[in-house]
Amino acid sequence: MLALNEIRRGKGRFAAIVSALSLIVFLVLVLGALADGLFFGATGAVRNTSATGYVFASDAEGSLVRSRLPVSDVEKVAAAPGVEQAGPVGVLLTGGVGPDGPIDLAVFGIDPGGPGSPTAVEGTLPTEPGTAAVDVALRDAGVTLGSEVSVGDVSATVVGFTADSEYQLQPTLWTGVETWRSMRDAVRPELRGQTDVINSVAIVTAPDADLGAIAAAVPDTTVLTAAETGLAIPGVEQQSSTLNSIIYTTLAVAGLVVALFFALLVLEKRELFAALKALGASTGRLGRGVILQALIASALGVVIGAVVARLFDLVIPPEVPTLFRTETLLTIAVFTLVAGVVGAMFSLRRIAKIDPATAIGGAL
Amino acid sequence: MTDPANDPVLDATRSALDGPGASPADDAAGHPSALLHVNDVRKVYGSGHTEVVAVSDATMAVDEGEFVALLGPSGSGKTTLISIIGGLLAPSSGRVTVGDVDVTAMNKKELTAFRAERVGFVFQSANLVPFLTARENLLFVSSLVKGISRTQANERADQLLSELGLSARAKNLPEQLSGGERQRVAIGRALMNDPDLVLVDEPTAALDTAMGRQVVELLRREIKARGKTGIMVTHDLRMVEYTDRVFEILDGHLTHVEQPSAIGH
Ligand SMILES: Nc1ncnc2c1ncn2[C@@H]1O[C@H](COP(=O)(O)OP(=O)(O)O)[C@@H](O)[C@H]1O
Ligand SMILES: [Mg+2]
Repeated sequence: MLALNEIRRGKGRFAAIVSALSLIVFLVLVLGALADGLFFGATGAVRNTSATGYVFASDAEGSLVRSRLPVSDVEKVAAAPGVEQAGPVGVLLTGGVGPDGPIDLAVFGIDPGGPGSPTAVEGTLPTEPGTAAVDVALRDAGVTLGSEVSVGDVSATVVGFTADSEYQLQPTLWTGVETWRSMRDAVRPELRGQTDVINSVAIVTAPDADLGAIAAAVPDTTVLTAAETGLAIPGVEQQSSTLNSIIYTTLAVAGLVVALFFALLVLEKRELFAALKALGASTGRLGRGVILQALIASALGVVIGAVVARLFDLVIPPEVPTLFRTETLLTIAVFTLVAGVVGAMFSLRRIAKIDPATAIGGAL
Repeated sequence: MTDPANDPVLDATRSALDGPGASPADDAAGHPSALLHVNDVRKVYGSGHTEVVAVSDATMAVDEGEFVALLGPSGSGKTTLISIIGGLLAPSSGRVTVGDVDVTAMNKKELTAFRAERVGFVFQSANLVPFLTARENLLFVSSLVKGISRTQANERADQLLSELGLSARAKNLPEQLSGGERQRVAIGRALMNDPDLVLVDEPTAALDTAMGRQVVELLRREIKARGKTGIMVTHDLRMVEYTDRVFEILDGHLTHVEQPSAIGH
């Protein structure tokens, strides 16, 4: 009753702390959306497929584009211990032409429906040469089912859409290995004739599979999990860790702001708290009130910050890769509440130290 | 502050402290079944050459239902003694008992509960919770003790506010009340948990004379009507006429127990 009435009757000062927290939450959510957007946009093509891992040439350092393997490795990998399925992966980062003009593309040649294949969210996966599924991001470039997308002089008919399947922030085109190879040859004439070269082997492994043993079974290869493959994409890990450290530092600042606010509030209420202690209020009772206030302020900060961030999302230009995920929102909400409570807990010692004897006799 | 200690008419040291009353220790011997017993209480602040003996060897007894004054000049140890009696301060030595409980033997937690349940304090400045209404200020203290139902608390708060002439002010915040009204709310708050002991420290210090008299008169009425035991600390001779007996204190020593009528105005 003490804590709630103080907020109710002292709205102005609590508005200040709620605004500060809202601003921080807003900032953190936008940063989080940027981190997620960058991460998801960079890694979808290897993270969101049926593959649990990828096999690379040893000298490729986990880079799909740099890796070159003979197509015969697919069978060797399939025979390795712990591998349930294996399929070829060919990758081509290039430009192409869609209905509305030039587009950036990452062309993936895979076994449609096999390991390393995404799922179609609309239409179907390509079954015939000359057909393809494309990432839904290409809808913005005018692509619809039945559209033609071409790379060089090779074109493919779009029969389906995939989602969360971008690669290095480029929309993907998923097709069979054959069509991928003709597209590659169309833009890289120097590679013509290399009909037995692919980039990687996508694998589905048994739950207890030893990736080292798989690599050992096929000469000159390394094996990474799908998640590791995503992180090995240039810039992904650095971006995530930079943005995450900014996010967590900012959340720590939220804790500091709450700590300072309530330290001031308690300082200002020393006399009152001394009197209340003299009347028989325990440190615990007064402390719980302060923590409840911090929780309310943090919760309001989260709600307002989230609403503002969503509104802000409407005005972010589409080129900026932001992704507002509920999981990220929940994580940030929990961290903010924890930061608020921990911040307020710094006031507990101060409250404990207030001597009720100072209430009586007073300064007058 | 205007210090009444400098005013010859109101100065307790000069006008009253050589009366014919008995020593409080002798008096206490005659009250074996009193509610409050203070035995050889001594309080020393600091140590070494900064040592201050604020109360020395205080012995006194107050019967249940009595309203007494603790009268002495500024710095004589009144606040220190009443703080020890109310469980706010631990004495350097000596014993305080209220009924059958030894206040001086309690730990911090027990003292907190003791103050909430058995003592009502009225401070020099009302010290109300500024963001609670008059009525909520009363209800708050009842939330500090277990076993009081909401309806019980509400009824009691309304009853007290009405007795204190504050019914119309129940929903006002302290800042909307006059000094006298605030002190009346503080009296209601002190009585809210039906305490054994009501301890009042210079309740009129922040009030003008007329307002002060009104507050002390009301205090006496409430204490008497409820059969409470009250101790009021004051250095103001004019206020002792509302009490049953007057304990005089000087330089930390309890010197005499007087009838209020024996103290000249
Ligand atoms: N916390 C304290 N520390 C040191 N000395 C104190 C403290 N409180 C009171 N004193 C001293 O103890 C003496 C009695 O003080 P107090 O009980 O407040 O007297 P009164 O209430 O009669 O004015 C005074 O000399 C005062 O300076
Ligand atoms: Mg005093």
